[in-house]
Amino acid sequence: MGTILEIEDLDLKKGNKYIIKDFNIEIEQNLISVILGVNGAGKSSLAYVLMGLSGYKPERGKIIFKGKDITNCSVTERAKAGMTLAWQTPANFEGLTVREYIEIGMKNKSLFSVKEALEKVALDPVLYMNRVVDKSLSGGERKRIELAAVYAMHPDLVILDEPDSGIDILSLENIKKLILDFKENGSTVLLITHRDEVAEIGDKAFLMCNGKIINEGSPAEISDFFKDECSKCDHKGAPEKSLAKNERSE
Amino acid sequence: MATKIIDEYAEMMKAYEQSGGKVGEFSNPNVPSIVISGNKVLGKNEVKGLIIEPTPTKDGVDVKITVKSGTKILYPMALCFGVLPKEGTQIINMEAYIEDNAGMNAISHCVFPNAEHIVHKMRYKVHIGKHSFFRYKEIHFHGDKGGVEVVPYTEGTVGEDSYFESTFTLKEGRVGKLDIKYNVDVEKGGKLELYSKVWAKDTDEVNIEEKGNLKGEEAKALIKSRVVLEGNSHSKVVSVVNASAPYSRGHVDCMEVVRDNAVAEAVPIVGVSNELAKVTHEAAIGSLDSKEIETLQARGLTEEEAIKVVVGALLK
Repeated sequence: MGTILEIEDLDLKKGNKYIIKDFNIEIEQNLISVILGVNGAGKSSLAYVLMGLSGYKPERGKIIFKGKDITNCSVTERAKAGMTLAWQTPANFEGLTVREYIEIGMKNKSLFSVKEALEKVALDPVLYMNRVVDKSLSGGERKRIELAAVYAMHPDLVILDEPDSGIDILSLENIKKLILDFKENGSTVLLITHRDEVAEIGDKAFLMCNGKIINEGSPAEISDFFKDECSKCDHKGAPEKSLAKNERSE
Repeated sequence: MATKIIDEYAEMMKAYEQSGGKVGEFSNPNVPSIVISGNKVLGKNEVKGLIIEPTPTKDGVDVKITVKSGTKILYPMALCFGVLPKEGTQIINMEAYIEDNAGMNAISHCVFPNAEHIVHKMRYKVHIGKHSFFRYKEIHFHGDKGGVEVVPYTEGTVGEDSYFESTFTLKEGRVGKLDIKYNVDVEKGGKLELYSKVWAKDTDEVNIEEKGNLKGEEAKALIKSRVVLEGNSHSKVVSVVNASAPYSRGHVDCMEVVRDNAVAEAVPIVGVSNELAKVTHEAAIGSLDSKEIETLQARGLTEEEAIKVVVGALLK
């Protein structure tokens, strides 16, 4: 089992602040790697940098995906190379049906696969396929449709940005099962979350704080550290202040 | 002469198909239809309870359509209007009478595939009786030269407990110059829905003025427009709902998406002259949402493909 994604010495600056600083990580193929961290740790920014979104061009560093440097590639090029992202708060699309939305990323478009993807996220295809992906959907429904759409793509690497946020407790079990199904189908999962009960399904976990990985290990180890240390930490929510401290200590 | 008319009919059908119509409708005896090229009526099919009375004029055709009381027309009426030469004027004066307890759906395709300088004026008078409905869809196909001036004016009355829905769509080819006007009164318990969907490009000019007058108790109106502008195109959308009757309800929803150097204006006007009436509005002008585009790019579409999907869905 090799490395599918490598990030080397990555810096992302927004204004005068470093959101991500000296970031290094290796993600192994066909595993569920979890990035755990408090709100404001830079997790979503990391997802956007990896996907190459506008406004998230790194100031320094390299992103190597399947052995190729994609640091300067467009979003489309990254997607065509086999990477995709499920947004924490997905966009709405007036006029686009759920079926059309899911089919966009599919290599072989078929009604069967659309239905299968919706069933994976516990949505009844009969009720949802012809609905429109707009604000008439609840946040939880929209989120599940986003996950169904990325599932239908069969990506090599899927970045799931807080797939558990806005999801009720009962649906959470479906989401956890879906994440395991991604792996079963050959996808590598980079799971971003701040909930340790979701992190437990991972194979490996990384703790992110103030734009850096500060610890790595098994999900159980990292979850324990997260619960014991991060909840007490005084720099929660003020990453730039803490980062300045870290830089001074270096 | 006969051969010429057959050729003209075939060319109209070709353009009709390009604009998304199904040609087979015109040979189906159950589907009411009319085909007008310039000022010539090339075909007409009536069904039970529906009377179509066309009268050719110098520059077009006057058409009176009557749906007799108590008749619900099963299949949507197919209308095809157009001008095939590069230049010309077509004036259609249409009167639609939907009598009491009657109803019809109609889809009209207006085709100007070779237009370099065409003026198409449509004066539409709609009279809907009590407990009736009329759904009218107008789809335009203009070719890519932008040499069309389209002026559709609709006036009408929606009777007690009746329903009128009108949808104007122009998203294939260039718009040219478009000047739409609606002015519709809605009586007690009646419902009006007006939709305009336009994709303007290059130097196209779009002017939309839609007005719903809620005159009867519990009358309702929804006026919704979606305009996408590219290049140096320009649009002005004025949406008006006046509510003067108790418990009448109206809503105006206008969205214009601007790209390149295009310019958009939106003017929602809501007027209430009865304390029990209520009218709301929303208007938004802006660029395409980059999150929508990047989401589709993350599914593998190029930026241009993503824009096409977002705009296409918005105007669907």
